[in-house]
Amino acid sequence: MDSLLHTVVLMLEGTQVTLQIFFITLIFSLPLGLLAAFGRLSSLKLVSRFMEFYIWLMRGTPLMLQLLFVYFALPMVGIMLPDLVAALLAFTLNYAAYFAEIFRAGIQSISRGQYEAAKTLGMTHKQTMRRIIIPQMIRYVLPPVSNETINLVKDTSLIYILAMNDLLRVARTIVQREFDMTPFVVAAVFYLIMTAVLTWGFKKLEAYYGKYDQ
Amino acid sequence: MENMTNNQVMLRLTQIHKKFDELEVLRGIDLDLKKGETKAIIGPSGSGKSTLLRCINRLEIIDSGKIEIKGRALAQNNSENVAEYVSEKEARDILSCTGMVFQQFNLFPHMTVMQNLLEAPVQVQKRKKEEVIPEAEELLRKVGLFEKRDNYPSRLSGGQQQRVAIARALCMKPDIMLFDEPTSALDPELTGEVLKTMRELAAEHMTMLVVTHEMAFAREAANQVVFMADGVIVEQGPAQQVIDHPQEERTQAFLKNML
Repeated sequence: MDSLLHTVVLMLEGTQVTLQIFFITLIFSLPLGLLAAFGRLSSLKLVSRFMEFYIWLMRGTPLMLQLLFVYFALPMVGIMLPDLVAALLAFTLNYAAYFAEIFRAGIQSISRGQYEAAKTLGMTHKQTMRRIIIPQMIRYVLPPVSNETINLVKDTSLIYILAMNDLLRVARTIVQREFDMTPFVVAAVFYLIMTAVLTWGFKKLEAYYGKYDQ
Repeated sequence: MENMTNNQVMLRLTQIHKKFDELEVLRGIDLDLKKGETKAIIGPSGSGKSTLLRCINRLEIIDSGKIEIKGRALAQNNSENVAEYVSEKEARDILSCTGMVFQQFNLFPHMTVMQNLLEAPVQVQKRKKEEVIPEAEELLRKVGLFEKRDNYPSRLSGGQQQRVAIARALCMKPDIMLFDEPTSALDPELTGEVLKTMRELAAEHMTMLVVTHEMAFAREAANQVVFMADGVIVEQGPAQQVIDHPQEERTQAFLKNML
């Protein structure tokens, strides 16, 4: 019993690292994704093309490879980043690309009539985006954003290759040391709890943003 | 009703030309709208009447011609006979005296009826919410939807949504109202309530330009009727004259099919 308690305590520490990566990535990649979506939809060909390239690059290569690149390749060209920052950079750039595509689809799903109504009421493009388009878009993008967010919880385990002690790496270390599989079960339960909380949160958000459609 | 309109020209279109790719949808339209006048534009689908209306407030961009609103040019030809528009900011200012009602209502679905009405006065005209609310309530009473003020548009019937859309446009205190087939998306039994609201507006001498398929409305509520076909104005004149005694063959054929 004692050893189980000890295991759980160690793994809670690992969970802290996991949650840290998770939240910071989310906080940066969501707004960055929105910006990238606007860039992708920009009428300026150069901006739009650049964003297309960025999204293709990020979605077209493994996140693991991106992590390794930031961690090992950047120092070779003189860019030294602390471990955590390196991990966060890779995660944020990767997830922003996925969010960008989700937001782009959301923005494009709003009918032209909404833009036209706003325009005939004298609203500027910025006002139209902020007051009319984005609030409606949020509703449409919540389910896919929820999906990506749950993916992110699990993807954080990739940082084991950067030798950071996240939840899964802590579990594995204990398993290898003590030949006891319990930590894997505990880790699974921890991931499931985090996912359950997220699912519940997104359900609430969907209800809130969908209230006008009942 | 004729003599109730005075002679101030609120809107003047001169030689409007507009192409979609190779198709010329507007082929030299001249049109005046006087203060207090209700003008109905009728014609077969594809005649360019909706496009013409949408050109007035920049929902479509004209190729050549001149658009003047209350004496201010929104667009006019340069030396190469190509229409040039004023700046975005000036265009918004010139068009601030116009309101538009769409076939598909286009209410903001994430806002309640009241929020739909308040949005533009508060965000665009920077007026105080408390100041606009009584006016919005008055408009909702006028269109008979005061009790729906806190509902979301999805809870309303098409006819009710369209009346909210009219109230939303009126909340900006426009001098000119543009209606783009306001009853075409409605079930027949719901068109009456929208037309009633529009008749009341016409009776109050709101300056209105109405693209419509409702001949009865055009005949009774409009002062002037314009018949368009193939991108040109075929015939125009006093409403009852054009509808009861059309002079042109095209008009006669069209009206015969409508009745």
